[in-house]
Amino acid sequence: MTFLERTTDARKFRHWEGNMEADYIYTSGVAGERFFVALRDEGRLLASRCTACDLDYLPARLFCEDCFAELTESVEVPREGRVAAVSVARVDRTGVRLSLPQVWAFVTFRGIRGGLVHRLLVPPDRARAGLAVRPKLKPKGARVGAITDIEGFEPVGS
Amino acid sequence: MSGRITKWPGVELSAADLAEGKVTETRFRPNAKYAWSAGEAMSRFLAELQEGRLIARTCHSCKRILFPPRMFCEECFRPTDEWTYIRDTGTIETFSISYLDTDAKRIVDPILVGVVSLDGASPKMGMMHYFGEMTKDEIRIGMRVKAAWKPREDRHGSVLDILYFRPLRGGEQ
Repeated sequence: MTFLERTTDARKFRHWEGNMEADYIYTSGVAGERFFVALRDEGRLLASRCTACDLDYLPARLFCEDCFAELTESVEVPREGRVAAVSVARVDRTGVRLSLPQVWAFVTFRGIRGGLVHRLLVPPDRARAGLAVRPKLKPKGARVGAITDIEGFEPVGS
Repeated sequence: MSGRITKWPGVELSAADLAEGKVTETRFRPNAKYAWSAGEAMSRFLAELQEGRLIARTCHSCKRILFPPRMFCEECFRPTDEWTYIRDTGTIETFSISYLDTDAKRIVDPILVGVVSLDGASPKMGMMHYFGEMTKDEIRIGMRVKAAWKPREDRHGSVLDILYFRPLRGGEQ
């Protein structure tokens, strides 16, 4: 046996199987809290505003990347955004094949630095950069203050 | 915290705050499955224990008999060559009289633990185990011992298939 003939499948030998309990709770943070509370309670998307740099950030954040100022102001993101990039997923995040492909997009908004990665609610053959889209929110009662309160982005006019 | 610092910057959250959903959050349970293998040599070693035997690996280069067995010789930097059985008798190399149990709890009657070098393996090659059928006053370095095995049906391929090492009895080699 050499190093190149090494067995890489632990199950070929006497082995012990387990599942590491690495549960976690990740809080949204100060700026994220403002974003998700506004999304949940008012159905609005907020960006963090830096008045010194005249910049608005999405996702919301606590500090300006350019001048390091603390950001306390928020502005509402325009209702309409634009698809900057698309990807069609055929496997889920654990690598299991999906019965139907999912379309994902990076959506940007005029005047906002950054954007959101989310589902694009169109068939794969209609997925393309440049689409004008708007967020489709869950009904207020179903919103819990998470990014999934947005069901996805749908084409404007649909 | 010190005399000058009484509060750290940031937002303090208690476990109750999280339980009540005071702030928005993401909960996640990673699917962190694993299979930990004893490896080629130790798997055979454990399987042989279940059969009531001790097995070693020989290295044809340095002529040593390696126990516990390993697939690679750390002296010669080459794969080892053959399986060979060794005996379940040996000599106490070192020992401890422990007044703490395996959970580090204090106990009145001490447990005897130590390293036994086994007959048939190269010098100083052996295993750590319990010693039994002897008192803390009787145990000594150099004492000849033999494995006390669990009954066959209770063995399941573990070092604990040997209960402990006991003194050699009169007539035993």
